[in-house]
Amino acid sequence: MSDLKIINLVKNFQGMNRPAVNNVNLDINSGELVAFLGPSGCGKTTILKMITGLFDPDNGDITLDDKTLLTTPTEKRGVVMVFQNYLLFPYMNVNENVGFALKMKGIEQSIIDTKVREMLDLVKLPDIGLRKPKQLSGGQQQRVALARALIATPRLLLLDEPLSNLDAHLRDEMRELIVTIQKKLNVTTIFVTHDQEEAVLLADKIALIFDGELQNYTSPKNYYERPKNTKAAKFFGGVNFIKTKKNNNQLESELGNLIYDGNNIDELEIENIVTIRPENIKISDKDEYDHNSFKGLIKSVIFSGTHTRYKILIKNIELECSLQSVGINNIKENDEIYVHLPKNKIWGMND
Amino acid sequence: MNSNLKKINIYAIYLGAIILILPLIAFFINAFSFRWFYPQVIPKELSLQAWVRLKLIPKSGQRSFEGFIDLWASNPAVIKALINSLTIGFLVTVVSIIIALPAARVLGLLNFRFKKLIIFIMVSPTILPPIAFVLGLNINFISLGFSGSFLGVCLVHLVPIMPYVVLTMTGIFANYNPDFEHQARTLGANKTKTFFLITLPAIAPGMVVAALFAFLVSWSQYLLTFLIGAGKVMTLPLLVFSTASSGNPALTAAISIIFIFPAILILFFTSKFVSGESGATSGFGKI
Amino acid sequence: MGGERLKIILSLTPPLLIIITLFFGGILYGLLQSLGYQPAIGKYDINFSAYYNVLFSERYARMFWTGLGLNLWVSFASTFLAAVFALFAALAIRKTFFAKTICNFIYSLNLPMPHLVVAVGMIFVFSQSGLLARFASQLGFINSPGEFPVLVRDKYGFGIILAYIWKEAAFFFIILMSVLQSLGENFEELAQSLGANKWQRFRYVILPLVMPNLFSASIIVFAFSFGAYEVPALLGVIYPQMLPVMAFEFFLNPDLNARSEGMALSIIIALIVMILVIIYFWLTQAKIRKD
Repeated sequence: MSDLKIINLVKNFQGMNRPAVNNVNLDINSGELVAFLGPSGCGKTTILKMITGLFDPDNGDITLDDKTLLTTPTEKRGVVMVFQNYLLFPYMNVNENVGFALKMKGIEQSIIDTKVREMLDLVKLPDIGLRKPKQLSGGQQQRVALARALIATPRLLLLDEPLSNLDAHLRDEMRELIVTIQKKLNVTTIFVTHDQEEAVLLADKIALIFDGELQNYTSPKNYYERPKNTKAAKFFGGVNFIKTKKNNNQLESELGNLIYDGNNIDELEIENIVTIRPENIKISDKDEYDHNSFKGLIKSVIFSGTHTRYKILIKNIELECSLQSVGINNIKENDEIYVHLPKNKIWGMND
Repeated sequence: MNSNLKKINIYAIYLGAIILILPLIAFFINAFSFRWFYPQVIPKELSLQAWVRLKLIPKSGQRSFEGFIDLWASNPAVIKALINSLTIGFLVTVVSIIIALPAARVLGLLNFRFKKLIIFIMVSPTILPPIAFVLGLNINFISLGFSGSFLGVCLVHLVPIMPYVVLTMTGIFANYNPDFEHQARTLGANKTKTFFLITLPAIAPGMVVAALFAFLVSWSQYLLTFLIGAGKVMTLPLLVFSTASSGNPALTAAISIIFIFPAILILFFTSKFVSGESGATSGFGKI
Repeated sequence: MGGERLKIILSLTPPLLIIITLFFGGILYGLLQSLGYQPAIGKYDINFSAYYNVLFSERYARMFWTGLGLNLWVSFASTFLAAVFALFAALAIRKTFFAKTICNFIYSLNLPMPHLVVAVGMIFVFSQSGLLARFASQLGFINSPGEFPVLVRDKYGFGIILAYIWKEAAFFFIILMSVLQSLGENFEELAQSLGANKWQRFRYVILPLVMPNLFSASIIVFAFSFGAYEVPALLGVIYPQMLPVMAFEFFLNPDLNARSEGMALSIIIALIVMILVIIYFWLTQAKIRKD
């Protein structure tokens, strides 16, 4: 069991006009794979470094299994971090690098040797134990760094931008490897990334962080369908935003009245914003929908392989809609069409 | 035409090289030929006379292992000066490296207020001439009782060496990634182990070069040793100076050869590290 | 944050303490002494008479001003000639040819060599019974040592200049070699393709590129040769005498009054060097601002 709790965490840096990390609260359950997602400089790596103990927080607490980590020195926390540029010790060979953590514990060399072999098998890199780091490719270095981190069965594994230094074709392979190993060893894992696609593909849950503040912490699917605010929605490729006014259970917008099915209707303020994923918008040349149907004009058609994107103008609002390319080649620019925003696919937010 | 020019170029370089090592040639001829009279270019006879007079090589007939041991054990002036120079150089180098290590780390890795001012204070002894501070310091040391003492000489040697070591090592730390240490810490290494297993191996090459040249700076120090040592602490440069002033070329040459030996040795082993950018070079002004 | 500040202060204090107490303390004490404050001989009043004596008195003024002249001449000449020699050596050697490594080593050889030894070497090579005089005699150019020009312990400081050229050329050489190596030959090839001849490539491409490094190295060499003692002490004459030697001899004078003049002289040397360095920084800063 390794439940991590981050409580009211605050960190200030000299020369920065806002806190680097501002009152962040997070619960991570044992065995989960969680992504810290945000643009560079948003404070996500700072949180990681506070969990490892390389920075001390100015306020707040970090607990692992309900015991604070803050009073334990870095090397005794059982929290291992894999840095972005892998940081294999250059003057040690692969075996020595991987066995480092066990050697620090004073474990017998023969046991270390066995364990190193096991770990290298796990990351699918047998037979390179005697090479020096600079003789390895980027992908191999990444795997060695992973093996080195996992050998002492950490309570918590932290990965800083694990895929950012890899070529595109290596990323898929590495991503799969990380997920496989993480599930196999059932190690609670946090990784930091600025790439929302990577976060969605890997993580059980994503913590979205902007300017040192936690914006949203939920499953990847929710970021697409039920984002907490427009910032979160935009970060995940949201493009359609409609200002509305709540009136009983209806939302009044420039398009007309919207029927809304979302379960957060009570939390919405009077002034709010409604979003819908482009792929959830339906269009037709006939008026065939029973609700949330509006007449619009096709402004542009962009073919992008399996999908085709349409920009539609309804009154003064531009919406973007994405449809599978197969079988809908009869819609052209300047066509008048009917747009349907299904009531269970639109989602309201307060800001 | 072009290839002719190139040839002239190359011959000029060779000529320059020969001119540059003329003093070195003269040192060796002088040291190994006791009667090298004008106008001989090549000495008529080779001789170890100078070395015998300096009591570094026993008289002919006593040149056995025991002969050498007996002679050196009698503590001739050159051996005494040599030991003094080595001891002072070693002590000052070790102390300056230990003191410089944390300072260089802070200067190389962190940004803070007054950093420029602090660097300016650190550099000033490398620019201002030693005569500017050593005359005043001499009087001060006399009243403190450091004058004429081994400790006083070591302290005054720290003045030219400290800035040099701090600046060179600052350069090393500026190119150093402290995340390696963090990585080791998260893998379970404590602070001491991290220092010896991670930090030290990473900075060692640069540090060794800095140490070797710091040693040379101390090794070459004449004025500071003379004034603070007050004639009681005899080192090799003092011996070279007084022998050279007294005018016996053979003796001067022999002592000089001992004196320059570490310099050549150090250059030979570090030549690949010595470049205008390494910062190691900047210290040479003080040698 | 507080911990970090404490760490910075604790790390920097030991070396700063050494430099401030020994170096700046020494200068301050020298300054006080030069102003007549000499508790050892019961003098406590502050005055500028030592400076006046050195600069204007009948007894010392001539000595000082000729000494200053010699200082400026020696420092300028040796800095300039060493830089020129090193520049041409570096330009010629950087192109690969046979025995490049050995030449590289020989041209850098004087870098770690103590000044003292270089000075002794100059006596061995350039004195009237030195190696060159012997060559000249063997080749029949001169009949007696007296016919060989006086190049060491001469009143024009030739010996001192030669020693500094020997020693500092290696310093310039190493700096220039690394600058030239890091520049590569791309700029020159470009200039050549634009029609620049050998001289134009040197004048308009190489020289401006190496000038900043050459200039800052020159400041170091000039400052050093202006204030160093060993070389002029071994290779100089009694009159005219370079200022550091003069200061030192005043200081060792059994007449304790001369000590103030010695201190004053050493402070003047430091002041001149400092002014020079300030002008240098001012010039480079102005240039950076202009660019």
